[in-house]
Amino acid sequence: MVVKVEKITPKKSNPATTDEVISEEMDMIKKKYLRGEGADLKALKDKKLQGQLAVKEDLYGKSAAAAAKAEKWLMPSEGGYLEGDGIEKTWRIKQDAIASEVDILSSRKQFDIVLPDFGPYTLEFTPSGRYMAAAGRKGHIAIVDMQNMNAIKELQVRETVRDVVFLHNEQFFAAAQKKYPYIYSRDGTELHCLKEHGAVLKLQFLRNHFLLASINKFGQLRYQDVTTGQMVSNLRTGLGRTDVMQVNPFNGVLAVGHSGGTLSMWKPTSAAPLVKMLCHPGPVTALAFHPNGHLMATAGMERKIKIWDLRKFEVLQTLPGHCKALDFSQKGLLATATGSFVQVFGDLSGSQNYSRYMTHSVAKGYQVKKVAFRPYEDVLGIGHSMGWSSILIPGSGEPNFDSWVANPFETSKQRREKEVHSLLDKLPPETIMLDPTKIGSVRPTRKKEKPTKEEIEAEMEAAIEAAKNIPMKKKTKGRSKPSKIAKKKQEAVEKAKKPFLEQHMKKRKLTDETQLPKSLERFVRKKAVA
Amino acid sequence: MAETKRKNKKQRSSGGGVSKRKGPRLPNAMLKELQIPKRYTESDDEDNNDSVNDLYEYEEGIAQEESRKNRRFDPVENFQYELPDQFEDENVSSDEEDGDDDDEDGRRGDNDEEEEEDDGRHSRLLQEITGLPTDAFDGKKKKNDVIISEAYSESEYNPSRDILDGDGRISIQDLLDPLHGKSDYSKLRKSMSRMEKKSMPIHAPLAKPDQERLDRKAAYDFMQKDVTKWEPSVKRNREAPTIYFDEDKDVGFSTVGAITAEFEPRTDFEKKIASLVNDHEVVEAHRKDGARLLELNKISVEDVRERQDQLAKMKSLLFRHEMKAKRVKKIKSKVYHRLLKKDRLKQAGKAIETDPEAAKEQAMKQEFKRAEERLTLKHKNSSKWAKRILKRGLDLQDEGTRAAINEQLNQHALLSRKANNMKESSSSEESSDEDDLDEASDGSDQNAAVKLLRKAKDKTTQVLEGDEELPASGVLSLPFMVRGLKRRKEAADEETKLALEEYESSLKELEDKNEPKTQGTNIFTGRRVFGDKKKQAPEPNKKKVTSDNYYGDSDSEGETDARETGISSREENNFSEREVHFDPNALREESEISHDSLFKSFDDIARDTNSKTSYEVSIFAADSRKKMNDSSVKGKKTKSANAKSATSLQITEPVVNKPDGEEIDEDSDTDSGGEMVDGILTTGTKSTYEIPSQEELIRRAFAGDDVEDDFEREKQDALNEEIPEPEKPILLPGWGQWTNIQKKRGPPSWMLEEHDNAKKKREEALKKRKDANLNHVIISEKRDKKAEKLHTPTLPYPFTSQEVFEQSIRMPIGPEFNPVTAVPALIRPEVVKRSGIIIKPIKFEEVNPHERAQDHKRGGVQKKKGGKSKDKPAKNTTV
Repeated sequence: MVVKVEKITPKKSNPATTDEVISEEMDMIKKKYLRGEGADLKALKDKKLQGQLAVKEDLYGKSAAAAAKAEKWLMPSEGGYLEGDGIEKTWRIKQDAIASEVDILSSRKQFDIVLPDFGPYTLEFTPSGRYMAAAGRKGHIAIVDMQNMNAIKELQVRETVRDVVFLHNEQFFAAAQKKYPYIYSRDGTELHCLKEHGAVLKLQFLRNHFLLASINKFGQLRYQDVTTGQMVSNLRTGLGRTDVMQVNPFNGVLAVGHSGGTLSMWKPTSAAPLVKMLCHPGPVTALAFHPNGHLMATAGMERKIKIWDLRKFEVLQTLPGHCKALDFSQKGLLATATGSFVQVFGDLSGSQNYSRYMTHSVAKGYQVKKVAFRPYEDVLGIGHSMGWSSILIPGSGEPNFDSWVANPFETSKQRREKEVHSLLDKLPPETIMLDPTKIGSVRPTRKKEKPTKEEIEAEMEAAIEAAKNIPMKKKTKGRSKPSKIAKKKQEAVEKAKKPFLEQHMKKRKLTDETQLPKSLERFVRKKAVA
Repeated sequence: MAETKRKNKKQRSSGGGVSKRKGPRLPNAMLKELQIPKRYTESDDEDNNDSVNDLYEYEEGIAQEESRKNRRFDPVENFQYELPDQFEDENVSSDEEDGDDDDEDGRRGDNDEEEEEDDGRHSRLLQEITGLPTDAFDGKKKKNDVIISEAYSESEYNPSRDILDGDGRISIQDLLDPLHGKSDYSKLRKSMSRMEKKSMPIHAPLAKPDQERLDRKAAYDFMQKDVTKWEPSVKRNREAPTIYFDEDKDVGFSTVGAITAEFEPRTDFEKKIASLVNDHEVVEAHRKDGARLLELNKISVEDVRERQDQLAKMKSLLFRHEMKAKRVKKIKSKVYHRLLKKDRLKQAGKAIETDPEAAKEQAMKQEFKRAEERLTLKHKNSSKWAKRILKRGLDLQDEGTRAAINEQLNQHALLSRKANNMKESSSSEESSDEDDLDEASDGSDQNAAVKLLRKAKDKTTQVLEGDEELPASGVLSLPFMVRGLKRRKEAADEETKLALEEYESSLKELEDKNEPKTQGTNIFTGRRVFGDKKKQAPEPNKKKVTSDNYYGDSDSEGETDARETGISSREENNFSEREVHFDPNALREESEISHDSLFKSFDDIARDTNSKTSYEVSIFAADSRKKMNDSSVKGKKTKSANAKSATSLQITEPVVNKPDGEEIDEDSDTDSGGEMVDGILTTGTKSTYEIPSQEELIRRAFAGDDVEDDFEREKQDALNEEIPEPEKPILLPGWGQWTNIQKKRGPPSWMLEEHDNAKKKREEALKKRKDANLNHVIISEKRDKKAEKLHTPTLPYPFTSQEVFEQSIRMPIGPEFNPVTAVPALIRPEVVKRSGIIIKPIKFEEVNPHERAQDHKRGGVQKKKGGKSKDKPAKNTTV
């Protein structure tokens, strides 16, 4: 058995072809940073615009090149992964084997903590992966600094705790307890009791929007702004009780899996779900999003795990197996758990074809409740009925961290600064939409658009034409005299015109009325009532 | 010809004094008639005059009136256009003189004799005097003559007569002949002959507008060519993404030394200083060790001495003044200070009298003091000293302390008096009240309460005794009214009696209580109560006033009664806080609800403990909670108003108010509790979640069967909601049909057509939806109004296609998404300009028109910036 664990390996360099390789590589990265193609400038008729856009594109290109260069030289670490030797299967490699291969620091990240009294544990990591919150169902909440395995705070709330999430940093966390969710500070002080939420089953925090989302026993979805305390929205899913809820990290859309096998996606500014899709014939048991937001994994009661492409809303792959908990790692590995068995799928070929990568069984009889990959580490945290354990999954974490995004080695000063920055950059709730890249683009046209002026005019012309061409009946007693006919035709034309003119007048009147700004309206002379 | 000329002259001269007259302008028609061809030359004026001249040559006679033949017409001496005889025109070109010489001679002969003679004499005289020939003096005369004959100078347009006549014409040949034999003659002649051969008629010059147009065109062409040289630089500036106007970074002087070096004295003062500073000697002295500076700094001994003396004098004066001030300050005599103060005041008063400004200031000061007093209540026994004394008891103190306290209170009253004065309406009452106050404050404070009670008692007894006469007439004299009145009166009497009893009892109580109670508190309560009393005092009087109203309807009666009772109770409880609850207004309101029961209740209340009273009040006001709240609020208000009352009150207060507050709190609590209960109830009713039944569980277990159908149905519903299905054409009975025929035919064709169209439209819309081909997905296409502001309503200006626009904004340009080196270029504004820089007009410079502005960062550079080079490396990195 050969276990190949590449952790931080310097780039292999072959002097003969390095230049080519590097330039190719750079091109690839640059393409990524260009975020799509520019417009075809040659097709543009407007010379001035063409020039302007050419300048812009050039700048974009430079920026992307600089970014590629930075990525190339400033992100030297590359994630490793397990590789089978010959017919060896990676999922047969046990944790012990890995532990014996890796360095001491990494092997320390493999542990089991047994807390038999307080029931199944749920876990939550901060985005930097430094801190972990663990909540036992029977009221045990712990905040752990994962770097030195130091329990910062442990508290016993003496009632059911269903879920726990960190707010914008490790200083605050929210716990869904028996009757209401509560917000605690890092040192365990209860700061708020969010009574409006009711008995919450699952909590999610939208980091960029500072929204705490919760779903309660009655299937009511609530968004609360944690900076102002304002209840941003209160939505009724109307699809019953569920505790399957996950936020899409890409766009902030909240997905809720229901018992009817449907999955609905929500945003705080619309009462109806953005998307409702039938994922499974049975109840949806678990749900996870890929960090890039394009992939979603759902698990159903009918022993199926489905991987969806959210751009097309189509199933990419269906994997067999029961699943109680799902999680995507930063690098795109998918962890599933059922009973005491944890399985990790990966698309190592990059073709979005997930296959079995690793398996792990916690001690028999333990019921896994939650799996959560630790960011920036090759570690999977497993919360189960007898505490929690941590295993090594090579290649799961992002090897290079960006201290502007999340810094595992953050000092308190940095944390404070970042807090202020993130507050200043807080996004309003309406920016949550399926495709946030569409922000700033032209507003989609309404379905029932008002006819344009030309259209109205054309319509009027047509009506007049029609009125002119009405065949006249031949009448007796001088009623078919040419003068009469002409008069009649004239009248018909007038009649045809009338509605259009009236409409026009009405519009004009309206515009006249609304011309003045509100503050000046009171100075308008009132028309004397004749 | 000569004849005509003569005639002409004659005609001119015949006018005598009218010699200068020009002929009238003839209209064109007349000219035509006279067959005078009108010659057009450049100047119409001259032409006209010419023709006029011609005309006059053909004119036959003179107008009769002018000829004065037979003296038929009265002679008109002076026409308007006549010039005076002595008129001399100087404006005559001298060339004419030569040409007209012979003329003049002849003319002079037959010109008017007198004038001639005169002139001749004059010239002769001159000749004799000067000794010059007569001709020298004749010039003027000649000129005059010329003017008379020819109004215009000779020119090509106005040729002299001989030239026109042909005999005196000068040809080129004539001019050339004298040159014969000279050096260039042959050349000249050749060119002349050539000219003659080639001679072409010279065209008349173009009309002015045409000429100008041509000029303009030429100028335009020229300018166009000239302007094109700017094109490249203008183009470059227009294409440049950024234009810099941050030229001339040279700030100039950067050090003080540099600035001073450049300094040049301009004003006189500066020059003087400069001359002194730059004095050669001084400079020299500085340059050496500076020892000579002392030499230059010469002062006479007298000056120094004088200065010293003056200084010494000033010092001694200052010292004496200081000593005096010290001594004065040390004086402890109050009399002295009082006198001093009085003096100062007097002076100030004088100033006020004399100076309105000072008066104003004084008034302001007074106002300020008053405000300060009201704010701080400094003189209202709030100082530590006063508190201590009051705590000990005022009557234990000696006369002086008491007086001081009184003084303080007086001062307070004095200082805050103006506010009372402002309320003119209640001035009379106040005055009496103030009397009371004075009484109260004058040492007999402790008896004030007793006095008050007695007063109240007196008044009630008065009311009791002072029976009104029953009216003998009117409605009130009716027997049943009389009966009713009596009954009421009896009841009222009973009330008053009761009140009287209470007064007495409370009086006794008070007298008992007064012994142990400290005097100081009494003072305060007394004062405070007096304040309240101010309001109450008129009320007994009012009762009498309202006694007319006494027999009115029950409501008003109740009102008065309620007021009465309110007063009585208040008077009775003067020393407790209880009255706070019986705000007259509130009571009045309540009394309107149920006055009869209220009387009793109030009596009860009066006797009961405070907590109970509030409770009962709440009960009685239960009919209208709002009113209750009002009263309680008022109560609270009064409480807060009296918050600064004495200690004894403060002791009782909590006892009084707590239950009230609790009551309110409870009320609100119960209210909110009810709501909460409601809320819970509503939430309970809203969510219909139940524990799944067995059947449900089974269904869920076998859910795979019909979820798809369910979803299909759901999707259909959602689609119908978003794109509603068109209504089916319905025939309304009685509309569009007379008989059964319509029914048989079905709905009219246009209706069907409309329906079909709508259906088709819907199908199309459905096909366009994103989820058209996805059976398992419903994608909502509802508009999100809130998110609409995140999109542009229209395509921004230079863009014509949405696609191009969206592609142009695909890249974020913020610092979070781009490397540091790229951000400044991405977010650089169109114009870079430091504030305060003057943008100079563009200067011409050679630019290669074919060169594309390569450096985008500063394509439209006016002047290149030195510090920009830091962007360079980033640029070089491009593949």
